[in-house]
Amino acid sequence: MIVAAAMRRSDPVLRAALGLLLIVALWELSARALSGAYILAGPVEVARYLAQNSGLMVRALRETLWSAAQGFFWGNLAAVTLAVTAIVMPRSERVVSALALLVFCLPLVATGPILRVLYGPGDGPQITLAALAVYYTTYVPLLVGLRAAPATWFELVQSYGRGRAAELWHVRAMTALPYLFAGLQIAAPAAFLGAMVGEFTGAERGMGVLTIRAMRALDVPGAWALASLAAAISVAAYAAIGALARAVSVAPPPVILSPPGAPVGRRLGALAPLGLTILALVLWWGLLEGFGLNAFFAKRPGDVFEALMLAPDAAQTRATLLAALRETAIAVVPGYLAGLALGAALATLIVLVPVASTVAMPLAVALRSVPIVTSAPLGVLLLGRGEAGTITLVALMVFFPTFVACLHGLRQAPGQILDVFDSYAAGPVARLVHVRLPAMLPAFFAAARMAVPASVLAVTVVEWLATGQGIGSLMALSASLSDYDMLWASVAVVALLSAAGYGLVSRAEALVLSRYAAEQVRR
Amino acid sequence: MAPDASPPEIVCRGLSKCFGATEVVAPCELTFAAGQTTALVGPSGCGKSTLLRLVAGLEAPSAGSVTIGGAPPGDTLRRGQLSMAFQDPSLLPWRTVRGNVTLALKLARQRKDEARIARLIDLVGLDGFAGTRPGALSGGMRQRAAIARAMVTEPAVLLLDEPFGAVDELTRQQLAEDLPPLWEARETTTLLVTHSVSEAVMLSDRVLVFSPRPAAVVADIPVALERPRRASLSSSKPFLDLTGEVSEALARGMAAAAPRLAAQ
Ligand SMILES: Nc1ncnc2c1ncn2[C@@H]1O[C@H](COP(=O)(O)OP(=O)(O)OP(=O)(O)O)[C@@H](O)[C@H]1O
Ligand SMILES: [Mg+2]
Repeated sequence: MIVAAAMRRSDPVLRAALGLLLIVALWELSARALSGAYILAGPVEVARYLAQNSGLMVRALRETLWSAAQGFFWGNLAAVTLAVTAIVMPRSERVVSALALLVFCLPLVATGPILRVLYGPGDGPQITLAALAVYYTTYVPLLVGLRAAPATWFELVQSYGRGRAAELWHVRAMTALPYLFAGLQIAAPAAFLGAMVGEFTGAERGMGVLTIRAMRALDVPGAWALASLAAAISVAAYAAIGALARAVSVAPPPVILSPPGAPVGRRLGALAPLGLTILALVLWWGLLEGFGLNAFFAKRPGDVFEALMLAPDAAQTRATLLAALRETAIAVVPGYLAGLALGAALATLIVLVPVASTVAMPLAVALRSVPIVTSAPLGVLLLGRGEAGTITLVALMVFFPTFVACLHGLRQAPGQILDVFDSYAAGPVARLVHVRLPAMLPAFFAAARMAVPASVLAVTVVEWLATGQGIGSLMALSASLSDYDMLWASVAVVALLSAAGYGLVSRAEALVLSRYAAEQVRR
Repeated sequence: MAPDASPPEIVCRGLSKCFGATEVVAPCELTFAAGQTTALVGPSGCGKSTLLRLVAGLEAPSAGSVTIGGAPPGDTLRRGQLSMAFQDPSLLPWRTVRGNVTLALKLARQRKDEARIARLIDLVGLDGFAGTRPGALSGGMRQRAAIARAMVTEPAVLLLDEPFGAVDELTRQQLAEDLPPLWEARETTTLLVTHSVSEAVMLSDRVLVFSPRPAAVVADIPVALERPRRASLSSSKPFLDLTGEVSEALARGMAAAAPRLAAQ
């Protein structure tokens, strides 16, 4: 009771620390209970390992951090450029957004090896993957932020005969700032994750390299130490950017994300996806041709079409691809749905118990920034190589962002409306059903959308590193066998399916929100 | 101050505006004489703000045209010769009062004139709040800051949309005494939307009374009271006659529209 009261009063940092302490204690206890099974190293063992290998760790960390920082810079620069382009040339927004999404849906697992061939040794792939991992999660909130101003602010600018540039400079830049910081905050751990995945693809140094090594050698304390370090760095980066935002007195954005998808009521119809696909194919072809890349490994759309449709072994290729996709679907669909359901359900339950939410919120915010994918090897150690392990990891990857977003949404229930309910002495359940849940929906869908590429990333990494099943494994195998037809075909199919899944969720979102939260649907 | 800033005449020819199927401004012929102040009064939702926005070129007419000094509004806008005080003060929350006033000079590409900025902030009674952000101001104080912002560029055309809506009665009277001399000295063509009949008469050279939506002119009442006008004027016979006339015209407009509104 006293602890509870203290928690209610204390600041979120303290509460998060308390929660973390709880987790560390649980972790140590389970490690002791499982000692001898060689799957779980406790915090004490991890600390010992880190101390003993501190030189190696610091060098690896510096390497990965530097790649991540460069990727963070380039990725966010790209995000800002794209968002500003979409705002200054509103006609370009649909195309910019769609292409940005499609590129974000490229499976890092396959782009990694391809980039490795392109760049050769060095840190090029790590930086590029880090940039690829961050730009979209900055682009989306930034686009919302650049628009987050009442119409009269723009009219004020217009009434002095000034145009879009003045609007951008005097109004949009400032309204976008909180959203930019929110995006950067999520981008920081994502950049670290991207850099590590890049290192998985055959770098010489870095945290990713050590992680792979530890896993191959079944070095349990090493794997746990690396995962803990990655988690700690990610949480720290997340917190540091939050602190920076507060230092320059930027308030967190009022709404996490409103739908950036197709502006409702202004759809281009069924032809739009077709046109965009054609544009993407042309760009794919043009880029490879433009850089004059070797046709042996840089497959053009035509090559992939031939491999899938015309070649003598096309049927075989298709069958292999489909079988892999089926295996992946069996893991990713239940994992995605379970993560969403758990995140939303737990957030809903927890607002009914306010004390619990004050602890859970900062803790979940901290844990959300943990790059779960980089600890995939641990998941496999713990849960085995079966479907259960993969599903659990995907669910975890989806769970944390959903949970945090839903909690934010639930707390955003408009005060005056809750006052009205109070004035009728409505109980917590009535408030939940009539006020809080509708307020949660936009945040839930924003999370559900972003969770589509995230879960594809999770499942492919796990398959690649650990289970040896599904499309992730197929891509890894094709890369190592130099079967570039299969590799490029897998990349195209996975990217298309991810983007389609994202589009599907956006459609559902538009339908539900136009019914239950009309004010959130962009006009 | 640009040399070509003698106040322009504003002419609306066959001007009308529809939003979808809703007609908001009925086709009208209006001329606002150069250097005059015209008050626009009418029931809420009749289309006054829309008319002002049409004049400012912020809204495209459905039919007809607006010209300011014989040219499209855009020309006046681009010269920074028009200011609009919006119905909602629309101050940028991250700028102080002074910053918001300064912004207008920047947007109008005018020199930053500290003395003028300070004078206007004084005039609207916000001295002492120049360094305050809008979030820490009351609704009425925000409106006064917006008035200062609108006037700081010394525009040839001034469009005020209920500028005193949230200002208390005493401050209103004070502003009603202090502001007109400014735009008289500069000979600004001013359009003022207001819900207060006495304010309309007190501030203007002419009162236009509008019917319920779609806005159509019910009465066009010249106000030939001498300037400068003092608060004491409001108890004089000619003033009371004029306010009576305006109120009556408002009531007439409502009554005429009642059957139409009932039918909707
Ligand atoms: N952008 C818009 N789209 C559709 N309808 C609009 C739009 N702007 C205004 N309207 C409609 O036009 C009508 C007139 O609006 P306007 O703001 O001009 O009224 P007003 O006379 O200024 O009212 P008030 O005195 O309450 O400010 C209203 O019925 C409003 O619903
Ligand atoms: Mg109005």
